[in-house]
Amino acid sequence: MEQLYQYAWLIPILPLLGAMIVGIGLISFNQVTSRLRQPASIFIVSLTGATMVFSFALLWSQIQGHETFLRTFEWAAAGDLKLTMGYTVDHLTTVMLTIVTTVAFLVMVYTDGYMEHDPGYVRFYAYLSLFASSMLGLVISPNLVQVYIFWELVGMCSYLLIGFWYDRKAAADACQKAFVVNRVGDFGFLLGMLGLYWATGTFEFSEMGMQLETLIESGIIGSSLASLFGVLVFLGPVAKSAQFPLHVWLPDAMEGPTPISALIHAATMVAAGVFLIARMYPVFEHLPSVMAIIAWTGAFTAFLGATIALTQNDIKKGLAYSTISQLGYMVMAMGVGGYTAGLFHLMTHAFFKAMLFLCSGSVIHGMEEVVGHNPALAQDMRLMGGLRKYMPITSLTFLVGTLAICGIPPFAGFWSKDEILSQAFSANPALWFVGWLTAGLTAFYMFRMYFMTFEGQFRGNDESVLAQFKPAFGPGAMDTQELESDQEADPHHHSETPHESPLSMTLPLVVLAIPSLAIGWIGKPWENFFEEFVYPPGESLEEVKALMAEFEWSKFLIMAGNSVGIALIGITLASLMYAGKKMDPSAIAQKFPSLYRFSLNKWYFDELYDRVFVQGSRRIARQVLEIDYRVVDGAVNLTGLLAIIGGEGLKYLETGRAQFYALIVFGAVLGFVIVFSVV
Amino acid sequence: MTNFPWLTTVILFPIAASLFIPLIPDKDGKQVRWYALVIGLIDFALIVTGFYRDYDFSDPNLQLVESYSWIPELDLNWSVGADGISMPLIILTGFITTLAILAAWPVSLKPKLFYFLMLAMYGGQIAVFAVQDMLLFFLVWELELIPVYLLLSIWGGKRRLYAATKFILYTAGGSLFILVAGLTMAFYGDTVTFDMRTLADKDIALNFQLWLYGAFFIAYAVKLPIFPLHTWLPDAHGEATAPVHMLLAGILLKMGGYALIRMNAGMLPDAHAYFAPALVILGVVNIIYAALTSFAQRNLKRKIAYSSISHMGFVLIGIASFTNIGLSGAVLQMVSHGLIGASLFFLVGATYDRTHTLMLDEMGGVGQRMQKIFAMFTTCSLASLALPGMSGFVAEVMVFIGFSTSDAYNATFKVLVVFLAAVGVILTPIYLLSMLREIFYGKENQELVSHEVLADAEPREVFIIACLLVPVIGIGLYPKVLTQVYDSTTVAYTDRLRNSVPTLTKPSKVAQSESSLVSVTAPQLNIKRDSP
Repeated sequence: MEQLYQYAWLIPILPLLGAMIVGIGLISFNQVTSRLRQPASIFIVSLTGATMVFSFALLWSQIQGHETFLRTFEWAAAGDLKLTMGYTVDHLTTVMLTIVTTVAFLVMVYTDGYMEHDPGYVRFYAYLSLFASSMLGLVISPNLVQVYIFWELVGMCSYLLIGFWYDRKAAADACQKAFVVNRVGDFGFLLGMLGLYWATGTFEFSEMGMQLETLIESGIIGSSLASLFGVLVFLGPVAKSAQFPLHVWLPDAMEGPTPISALIHAATMVAAGVFLIARMYPVFEHLPSVMAIIAWTGAFTAFLGATIALTQNDIKKGLAYSTISQLGYMVMAMGVGGYTAGLFHLMTHAFFKAMLFLCSGSVIHGMEEVVGHNPALAQDMRLMGGLRKYMPITSLTFLVGTLAICGIPPFAGFWSKDEILSQAFSANPALWFVGWLTAGLTAFYMFRMYFMTFEGQFRGNDESVLAQFKPAFGPGAMDTQELESDQEADPHHHSETPHESPLSMTLPLVVLAIPSLAIGWIGKPWENFFEEFVYPPGESLEEVKALMAEFEWSKFLIMAGNSVGIALIGITLASLMYAGKKMDPSAIAQKFPSLYRFSLNKWYFDELYDRVFVQGSRRIARQVLEIDYRVVDGAVNLTGLLAIIGGEGLKYLETGRAQFYALIVFGAVLGFVIVFSVV
Repeated sequence: MTNFPWLTTVILFPIAASLFIPLIPDKDGKQVRWYALVIGLIDFALIVTGFYRDYDFSDPNLQLVESYSWIPELDLNWSVGADGISMPLIILTGFITTLAILAAWPVSLKPKLFYFLMLAMYGGQIAVFAVQDMLLFFLVWELELIPVYLLLSIWGGKRRLYAATKFILYTAGGSLFILVAGLTMAFYGDTVTFDMRTLADKDIALNFQLWLYGAFFIAYAVKLPIFPLHTWLPDAHGEATAPVHMLLAGILLKMGGYALIRMNAGMLPDAHAYFAPALVILGVVNIIYAALTSFAQRNLKRKIAYSSISHMGFVLIGIASFTNIGLSGAVLQMVSHGLIGASLFFLVGATYDRTHTLMLDEMGGVGQRMQKIFAMFTTCSLASLALPGMSGFVAEVMVFIGFSTSDAYNATFKVLVVFLAAVGVILTPIYLLSMLREIFYGKENQELVSHEVLADAEPREVFIIACLLVPVIGIGLYPKVLTQVYDSTTVAYTDRLRNSVPTLTKPSKVAQSESSLVSVTAPQLNIKRDSP
């Protein structure tokens, strides 16, 4: 077993190796490497498979009770100050490792089908592998600096993958937006990290927590200052896990190919924020105000995401807002002290949301055969409908995912969401209420999505619906962009009905449906195996077990009944409006036009940020450049002018002999020396 | 240990070799470039061998010292040596200059003169980092300007004469201060000497030190450059051709930082204690101001030029941090920017060779035809915006850690500086990524495609970038590989600097956090001393 830990560093290195070999091949022998599609993908998928097996072995060993493993080496040194890097393997790490490698592996298998016709197939695999490597590196980091390093690296991979189709303007804007918004969060993370280091002298999590506690107790550091550092560090997760107010990048990130929406922007990278909060628990525990801020940010984000998801017509955007909302739950759980609950939801959500996204990819793949390679058409749910008939596997797995996210027992989401809600209730009933209300909204928008996509009549060929998307062609009404997308679409426009996706795409869906259905059982509250394995660093196993013994059926049933109840109300409403057509959604929208537009326009965050930050920074930059050109440089040019004038005058003094200049310089020096020896 | 005069050899060899260029029978410049490249490689090999054989990392003192009396009447000695500050920069010089010669492969205008100047630059630049005699330092500092002036004014862009003149006026004007301050220092006190080590040991009155510091500072502020003396740089960089660019950004800017550490901090430590807060403030101004101007700039070369200014701000903060890790970060930032800046400027040149425009508005969508250049440009931009895993990140984070843990400043000042410097962390990706977006992303610019051949990178170009990126990524992954080389020297420098500030003690954890928590609001050093 020990051998296993000795070589655990291979986990991030193997995918990195794959990415490097393929990447170097692409740069050096582009044509050849691009043609080696199958070998490249098989190579990378098998490397990821190997890390997956490795991760499961480590998980098994940890479940067997192996102690935490830590190995570090000196990374940089200056004088006495040493920065170390390394890897640690503990319970939390192994859980994250298995989640990341499993989802990554399945997504990579899926990619083979999804990207089959894409010219960037090999490049996509290289990026995916690079991402897997960075994410695994993040998970095994033993200290804050190393987390920061990989934190930024996963951000870079996200940037590269969102901008994968770089000839699309929307993708180009989205990838830049994602990186910059994440940098705003990293800015806080960096400042908080430096502040904590300055206070405690260490980057190591538990040590940092202990030091900080003694410093606060002895009054050397005010708790408000320590809280400020904590909030700054929390800014990192706010950006990465798309929490309010830095959530704006995630919906735009859907411009990337769907496999990465599933892997990066649903299951793994966006959950890194929650993971960091978990790692920082030793520090945050001692700062109640930070915990409160975390909890309320999460609760508000959960609500915000759900309200926006209600009205989205783009299937991926809808799922993206749902992800924001679910991440809000996790963050809220972390804030109310539900360490285990938050991580449990992270795990269940990783599986069912990855599956939902992969399903949406499968749907888009099918739709593209009908409406062409135009994301505006292929992803719009108003053009879908009735797909269950054509895509049975996709629709069934999507239904499993939908039931899981709605929190219907016994699907995975029920157990984790219920645990969060009961934790929230014991911390603050107001938080519970927000979470409970959001659960209802979630059920509504998810079933709206399901019904619009898979039930009813297929609308992809309905000219009256299509007409909404294409402005009438007439003199002067021709939009060049529309025309181009039409041209693009035509060659692929070869089918009247969508078809089920190939096996490489449906197989991962089926595999992911298993944990989405069943993994909740390991966290059932009366026999919580998950909690016995993953519990806060400040607690001991005995405490956890004692707490678990206090389980009461009556309490559980009331909590569960409440959340299932509101979910059922949401589902009923959705079925009345979108399946049974008993209620007309557009009539409701017209009744509350301002609320409807508020939700449809995503609370106007993009407009606000664009006006304030984007335009504002551009204006400031232009003004500074103007100053640089006119004032700073202008002053210099003016002195240049003066020098020329002065030179004309000096001409009469010049004798042109070198000795004369030497004399002047010498005189000046002498003057200096004399003056200052006297002073 | 051998007694071979390594440093003299590596300085004089390329200069001597350049004298044979006129003799090479060559009309179209095909042989000259091979000749220059081979000379460059030999010299680089000599540099590496010399340091490998005779340089001891653990020794903080000057090594490989040679001293010959040159003009005894003037007390001018040819004395050279290298310590941890200059050694990495000498290696960097050899590396970048050799690659610049390779980058200059397509130069067809007056190739003989061009390569003659490149080789002359080669020796001249190393000399600046190696000489240990004040007067000699001034001479080589001036001499190295002449090739740059010619390289700018003959091979530059449209406004090359304006740019070259501005460059020479600025730097020559600045170097007058070196001459005056250097001579004054030499004649001060009982002994007259130009030797830098002896000068450093001179006991100079504080009042006088401040004046000398100010004079040196102006000269080096022009070179580094520091706001508001930076305006020559966008002009010079905007007009230079790619190989000259690589030298300007990769090496010449580092001379300013090197001399600041060697002379201002090394020889005038008491004055440094007084000037340090100003250095920090100017560093922050550099970071933010240049990042903003870079963002607004529409000309590609000028954009990158401003980004260089922004990055040099970290060097200033590191020098003024009074901590080992801060100073170490400053040296690392110089080396790192030398590599990254050179690679970015080379890529800008390569892009220009294809698009024949530097204006961002006239580009767009070129990534579809120039995929390799796109990939390399992205990598280098990410390196420049301090992505972890690459050297720029390590340098910046070391400066950040150094400054935020520094016990020389009070808490308020530190918070303010760290906060503002970190704003640069947000601004840098904004301008670099929007630059990438405007060049490579989106739909192809039909107008551009219709009349330019957008060929992808050739192997020579990929090779150059690969050479530059290997150390960038190597240092980024394992910075100790470089920091251990100069660590003993930076520790010695920091000790000396800290000794000149009496309130600073040897750092112990408790004392450090206590003393730095005593907050005084004025942005000053905690110095208590009587004015001399």
